[in-house]
This record gives sequence, structure tokens and C-alpha cells, in this order.
Amino acid sequence: MTPLQILAAAIEGKPAPRIPVFCNLLDQGPQELGLQARDYYQSGEHIATAQLRLRARYGYDNVWGLSYVGKEAEFLGCRKVLYSEEGPPNVEDLVIKSHRDIEKLEIPDDITAHPAWTETARCLRILRDEVGATHPICAYITASNTLPALLMGIEAWMNLLLSGPAEVRDLLLTKCSDFVHKQLAAYRAAGANVLIYSSPFGSASLLGMKRFQALALPWMIRDLAPGGPQNIVYYCGMAPFNSVIAEVIDELGVTLHYISPLDDLGQAKRIIDQRGLTCGVIDDIKMIRWSPEETRAEVRRLCEIGMRGGRFLLGSGLVPLKVPEANIRAMVDAAFEFGFYR
Amino acid sequence: MLEEIIKAYNEAVFETDKEAAFEVVRAALERGVTPEDIVFGVVIPAVEEMMSIITRDPDANLAQHFMTAQIAAEVTEQMLARFRSPPQIIGRVVIGTAQGDLHSLGKRIVSGCLKALMVEVIDLGVNVPPEKFIEAALAHDAQVIAVSAMMVHTATGDNGALQVRKLLQARGLEKNIKLIVGGAPYRYDTTLYQSVGADAWAADGVNAGRVIVDLIKEVKAS
Repeated sequence: MTPLQILAAAIEGKPAPRIPVFCNLLDQGPQELGLQARDYYQSGEHIATAQLRLRARYGYDNVWGLSYVGKEAEFLGCRKVLYSEEGPPNVEDLVIKSHRDIEKLEIPDDITAHPAWTETARCLRILRDEVGATHPICAYITASNTLPALLMGIEAWMNLLLSGPAEVRDLLLTKCSDFVHKQLAAYRAAGANVLIYSSPFGSASLLGMKRFQALALPWMIRDLAPGGPQNIVYYCGMAPFNSVIAEVIDELGVTLHYISPLDDLGQAKRIIDQRGLTCGVIDDIKMIRWSPEETRAEVRRLCEIGMRGGRFLLGSGLVPLKVPEANIRAMVDAAFEFGFYR
Repeated sequence: MLEEIIKAYNEAVFETDKEAAFEVVRAALERGVTPEDIVFGVVIPAVEEMMSIITRDPDANLAQHFMTAQIAAEVTEQMLARFRSPPQIIGRVVIGTAQGDLHSLGKRIVSGCLKALMVEVIDLGVNVPPEKFIEAALAHDAQVIAVSAMMVHTATGDNGALQVRKLLQARGLEKNIKLIVGGAPYRYDTTLYQSVGADAWAADGVNAGRVIVDLIKEVKAS
């Protein structure tokens, strides 16, 4: 079976020789190609090349059509990005500096005609041509409830979200949700087949349950309505979200969940049960200091919890650049060793 | 009467209802409660109560941390303007986000709580070079430097807390200035703070207030 078929089997609860193994190596791209971050992130070809090389080296299943988290701000007017040789880029120029800027915020009619899409499309085209028939290609879409944090800063967004004015907040959420529709459609058309829907504000650990239900859930329903939940993976940016999984399944129909390392994986597995795919995620910040043996032991532990009943994937977060190569190898090797169904 | 006010204020803060909290304060002032009693008898105990709730309640959330700090800071600022004589501050802290990091929320929560706890806060903003932390701490005679970092590379990199520690060491300042760190990466690896040379860390912005107050007391006692 190809990795893509193994993933499909895990999602559908059908037999497969092993679990799918995702390892998300984005920050490692510039070093892989020996480039400065600024040059690397501006070329879709560089990103695709690095993704293919890293996947071939370690042997995990997925590749990414994403340059960096926050890229979406470029579509919406961000003109300055802070690059670092030690980690991912940061959005430096906030698009929204006042409530008036929310009125002026324009969502491109056709995001595929936007210059920011050109290199993303190039990256996806290369990945699709090289491994599209055999391997999962991931795309990253920030939920409408979280995108404002990239546009105005998390502090200003928390203020607007919690203290209003409600009509300004809702106008911004509407625009962001419209942008999510366009992104999802564009990524699907370009060949991405795993859509990581990043929704940190869709976690009760950020807003509490009442606000999750009032302020996050309705907008997520709106985000996903046009294209449906097909291939959507619910992810809260590593924030714990076990307490909302049941509602996300019932209300959004999203059955693929990328669990926080701070959550209880066994509990997540029990909640999701046979309704969908539980993705157990290793704490890759601890992998910075763990030994390969410790990394291997943690993978074994996660597999033992998650593989009961099948429908399990083992993955990483966005692996920090400081994680030693030996630990990345230990993680992937252990996932293949302990992730086989006997 | 104060107990009733404390209860109403705590409920408003817990529900992150800023308007209700301010209404409790306004009504208390009308009933003759002094601004001093509002700060020392209501706001500070409320912050301490939230510290305790956040520690034991698995459902405590970031919105509560954010609003606790914001309400406490705003009420304190308004009441201080009405004090008969300026209150005695406990100490001073220099706070900022590590170089390369533009996330300000954690720092904002910590600063809000510290202001309510009578700690003077010198806020250096975001993307702060390590040297600037040292210069500001010396210029303001601060007992604590607080470095916030939301990204792994800014939390563990050479231009963040690690370099602040090296500078403190090189200039013989370690006894007089303590270093605390905070931010998401430290929550995923609770021993990470030691590897970047910090004296302490806190799991959330509200409890960071208590840890910083303890560090200030430690420096002053030495």
C-alpha cells in the first residue's frame, strides 16, 4: 500500500499494515538547501525541493505545501515579515492597526490570481507531480476565529473578541471566513489532500466552553459549510482541545483530530472512538533535549495507547530546528517499528 | 460589606465580565469604601484567588487570565489616582519579549497582574535585544528581568534569555537581578527554563505575578 492508501485506510477504519506517520519539518528547509531564510521562503520550488528531500531522508509519509504559518497575512496586505535563521518567520507588519482598517480589509476575489499564491501553487504543482499519487500533501488553513490574531496581533484580537464592539468583531470574522472558503477551494483544486484546519481559538483552553460555543463554533461551521469536512484535520496549534472534540464531530462533521501533547491521548481516543481518526502527537519541544531512546520510548507509549481499535496516526508538531537529527530519525523509525499491526 | 463586594467582584472577574467588575467598584465607592480598600481589600485578593483557581481548575482558560489582568490593572490605575498618598511599591521588574519574537499577549497579562500587586513594571515592548534588558534593569534598579517568548527558537535561542543570563553573569549582577521566563514552549517542557539559565518560570501570566513577587522578595532579602 502507498502512504496515501495507508492514510485512507486509517481514516476509514480499514485494514492496513501500519499506521500513517506524519513528521512536519518546515523550519529545517533553509538549512536543507543551504539557503538564507529570506531567500528560501520566497520560492515555492525551494520549499517543494526541501520537503521532498527531507521526506526521502527520513521516510515518513507526508509533505507540506506550506512555506510558513502566517503566510496568509501576505494575501491580506502584510508587507513586512521578520525572518530568522533559527526558526520560522514572524508577521511583522500588522494589517489591522485600528477598527477602521477592518472596514477597509479586502478579501481577494480570486486568491489564485494573487501574487502570494504564485509560489504556493508552484510548490503544490511540484509536490503533486512528484508524489501526489502516493503521498499525503498537507496544506495549512487558519480558521476565521484565529486569522485575526495574524492580522492585528493576538492581544488586540482578544480585546475585540471579548469586549467588542460586536458588529466590528463580526465584520472581521465574516471577512476572515470568506477568505477561508477561498483558501480551502484553492488548496483542494491545487491537489492538497490533507487540510490542516488550525483553530487555536477553537479550543476551550483559550476561550472557555461558553465562549467556544458562542464565538468559535458558529464561525467554524460557516468556514467549512461550502466545501464540507472532507479531508479536514482539526488542530488547535498544540493547545489542548479534548473537551470540544465531541461538539466538533457533531456540529462540524470533522472526524480527523490532531491531538495536543498536553491532552490525554487515551481520553481523545475514547471520545473519537470509531467515528474518525485520532492523531497522537509527540511533544517535539521535549525532543530537543530527549535522547533517541527517550524519543523511541515516547513513540512506543503513544502507539500502545492509540493503536487499539485502529484509526490512529502518529505525528509531530512543527518540529523545532533545535531537535537533533538523531531524534527525528528515532521518532520515525520507532513509529514504523511500533506502528505495525500484527 | 467588604466580603460581599469581594464576592461580587470575584464573580465578575471569573466570568471575564469587565463591565460588571467596574460596576461593583463604582457601587463600592458610592457606599464609602476607600480606593485603598478597593485595591488592597478587593483587587489584590481577587488576583490571588484567580491564581489559586487557575492552578486547580483544569477548565481555566486564557480569556480568564487576560481579563483578570486587564481588569485588575485598570481598576488599580483608576484607584491609585484617588489614593490619599502614593502607595509603597514592592519592587520593579523589566519585562519584554525576546529578540525576534513579536507576541505581546503573555507579557501584557503578567504586567497587568504585577501593577495590581504594586510592582512597578518597565515594559520594553516586543523584539527586545538582550543588552536592552540589562541596561533597563540597571537604569531602573529593577530586581527582576522577565523575558517572554512564544516561539521555540526565541525561547531557546542565543538572543533571548540565554544571552541575558550570560550578560548578568559577565557583569556580576546575578545576586541583584533575577531572571524569569514565560511563554508556550516552557509549558510543553517544564524543565526548559533551566536550560536557558532562568531562575524561574510560570505556567501562566497570572501566576507569573506571584513568582515575580517572590523573586523580588528574595533579592531584597539577600
